[in-house]
Amino acid sequence: MTARRFKPNETVDFVVVGSGAAGGVMARELSRAGFSVLVFEQGPRFSPADFEHDELKYFFMSGLTVDPRSSPQTFRKHPGADAQRPTGPMATQPALYARLVGGSSNHFTANFWRFREIDFHERSVLGAIPGTGFADWPISYQELEPYYTKVEWEVGVSGLAYANPFDPPRSKPYPMPPLPVKSSGVLLERGARKLGLHPYPAPMAIASQPYRGRPACVHCGFCMGFGCEARAKSSSLYTMIPEAEATGRCEVRAQSYVFRVATNAAGRTTGVHYFDGGKKEHFQKARAVVVSANGAETARLLLNSADARFTQGLANSSGLVGKYFMFNQGSSVHAVFEHELNEYKSVQTTRVVHDFYDADPKRGFYGGGGIDGRINPQPAIWAMSAGGELPGWGADLKARIEAFPRSMVAMGHTTSLPVEANSVSIDPTLKDAWGIPAIRVTYKDHPDDLAFTRFLQDRQVEIMQAAGAQRVWREEVEESAWSVHLLGTARMGNDPATSVVDKFHRAHDVPNLFLCDGSSFVTSGRGQPTMTIQALAFRAADHIGQFAKRNEI
Amino acid sequence: MTSIDGEDDISRRSFLLSGSGLLSSVWIAAHWPNIAAAAHHADEMSAVPAPAGFEYLNAADAADVEALSAQILPGGATPGAREAHAVYFIDRALATFLSRLAGEFRAGLTQFQAAFRAFSPTSRSFAEAGPDTQIAFLKTVDRTPFFGTARALTLLGMFSSPKYAGNFGGAGWKLMGFQDQHAFAPPFGYYDREYTGFVPYSTEKQA
Repeated sequence: MTARRFKPNETVDFVVVGSGAAGGVMARELSRAGFSVLVFEQGPRFSPADFEHDELKYFFMSGLTVDPRSSPQTFRKHPGADAQRPTGPMATQPALYARLVGGSSNHFTANFWRFREIDFHERSVLGAIPGTGFADWPISYQELEPYYTKVEWEVGVSGLAYANPFDPPRSKPYPMPPLPVKSSGVLLERGARKLGLHPYPAPMAIASQPYRGRPACVHCGFCMGFGCEARAKSSSLYTMIPEAEATGRCEVRAQSYVFRVATNAAGRTTGVHYFDGGKKEHFQKARAVVVSANGAETARLLLNSADARFTQGLANSSGLVGKYFMFNQGSSVHAVFEHELNEYKSVQTTRVVHDFYDADPKRGFYGGGGIDGRINPQPAIWAMSAGGELPGWGADLKARIEAFPRSMVAMGHTTSLPVEANSVSIDPTLKDAWGIPAIRVTYKDHPDDLAFTRFLQDRQVEIMQAAGAQRVWREEVEESAWSVHLLGTARMGNDPATSVVDKFHRAHDVPNLFLCDGSSFVTSGRGQPTMTIQALAFRAADHIGQFAKRNEI
Repeated sequence: MTSIDGEDDISRRSFLLSGSGLLSSVWIAAHWPNIAAAAHHADEMSAVPAPAGFEYLNAADAADVEALSAQILPGGATPGAREAHAVYFIDRALATFLSRLAGEFRAGLTQFQAAFRAFSPTSRSFAEAGPDTQIAFLKTVDRTPFFGTARALTLLGMFSSPKYAGNFGGAGWKLMGFQDQHAFAPPFGYYDREYTGFVPYSTEKQA
């Protein structure tokens, strides 16, 4: 079956905005359920051979990610402050995501941790946290568990079930064994076990053996920040999107930028306005719209869709669209060992420690997280951090760089509390190359986010020392100014006054509009959101399909 | 797709496309390392030779920038920034793909040169000063934004792909012990070679 091509005036059952982790799942599930689906993607479509081992292109010239030259963003720490565009040689877009078919599932690291039961009802267990919108989710882990399993089997995740004694219940083991352990994994495991902790094989959305027509990983080492030239990384580009197209009911329209969701007098969406690759404007009619554009762009699209009826932005009667933005904090601890690890080979992580997942009120601050062993394998970026304490130049810097094969990083991934002032909003003056108002990010970590991250960093140091490192040093934990984890800006909930979408991802205010991606998160989890984004998408698609078949949209 | 600098890396893509488009996934799984090795060879063959001259920097400025980069990452028994042609990378970056930094870099370089003249009035330029003088001066300016930018560009020029005019002959990657290949096989390092397997915990849950 070849991919569908819709005619210009054709009304489709569903428009899906975004082709990434969530949009890909939506496209595949809704088209398999028998609906016509048109997926809009801002960026181009890459073939495997288009992906390169070129960190300069991808990290400094926006080869895959949203380009500040055409799609600028601004940043500020506090509401009321003037937001500025990031500058300097290492400037990064505050809300960083990949702009191509498959979205950020192309360049992600592929850590695929499930959330645990506690993530969904932590507010009830711990109580309120002043100055935050800390809340329970409207769904439980048990409701989501079948969809976690579906992600593991349909998207393709490698791992070892029941190895982590803290894992939540699961209905099936992983479909593939874990990827081969690396030296960073061995050393993380060695140090952690000496301290009485419980490291376990990392679950990764990368094929450890041939899987559903895709080859196994060839261990080239270019996962984080790069697209997979071997098709072993289970990105939407290689999994959900082609399977959606294979139904004959789905078209993926690349280089097509949706900038407004249209509504009628009845308060229902009628379709989307978009620019084609030549910046020519079009309108696409749809019976329903699903926005899965990521936690920053989904909020921006809703806010930019304000009209006479929805003056604050679409689906924003709560005033919460764009608010409660969460990044996930994190920290790095560098270690040098006696022998070669060669961490630039193979996937980023092969062992994880989840002993500090749960928050502990006795610490005096909220927070939880996980630790993995890795290195950021790109030579130039690694060299920039190899100096340790600045300024880092001369013979000392050179000696540290020469230790690259013997080096690793114990990385901590931690919670971010939902703070209402942290937000995606519309910059009052800045516009993108299409004339559409740009993203303005306001973000300042909650003190507990920094306190827990520093607590976990101390544990990372202890693990590396217990593993026998010759030298250990830490990168200072700093306030966040950017992230690739874009969460919480259209949160789920049962109460339309305190949430944007209901437990089935339907906008409270617009009956035929659904929002599903990182924006749906109520809390941040412990740092690896994509597994949960895809589980939510499978669950949402299941319900949306049922609603549509019952004519309830 | 076309690479950022306009060079269409046809050989490499031909190898990869022949694997992904025409052949079965089983065949690819079995033969990927061979394809990748060929692709890597094609990559190496497409490396750019040393440029004939500078596009953005004049000769005097280029000499100072080269001397600065050579102090940031010195040569000696192993190649440093000078031997890796970092200055050619910096020049090309400022002229093209990092031109957004060019104005700030030039202003910073002018200030750097003026400060050096004040620091060492007897030296004709930073490039022509002795290494002890250079190092003594750099210790007075190594926390300035210009030095930070020069350091970042030097490291990018040392360790980025050779196709951007730096990392000449892969000198940076050799220094670092990094191999740019499209496939590796375990064991990857010393410690995983001796690993005997994951031992389950006694609290392990059962299926």
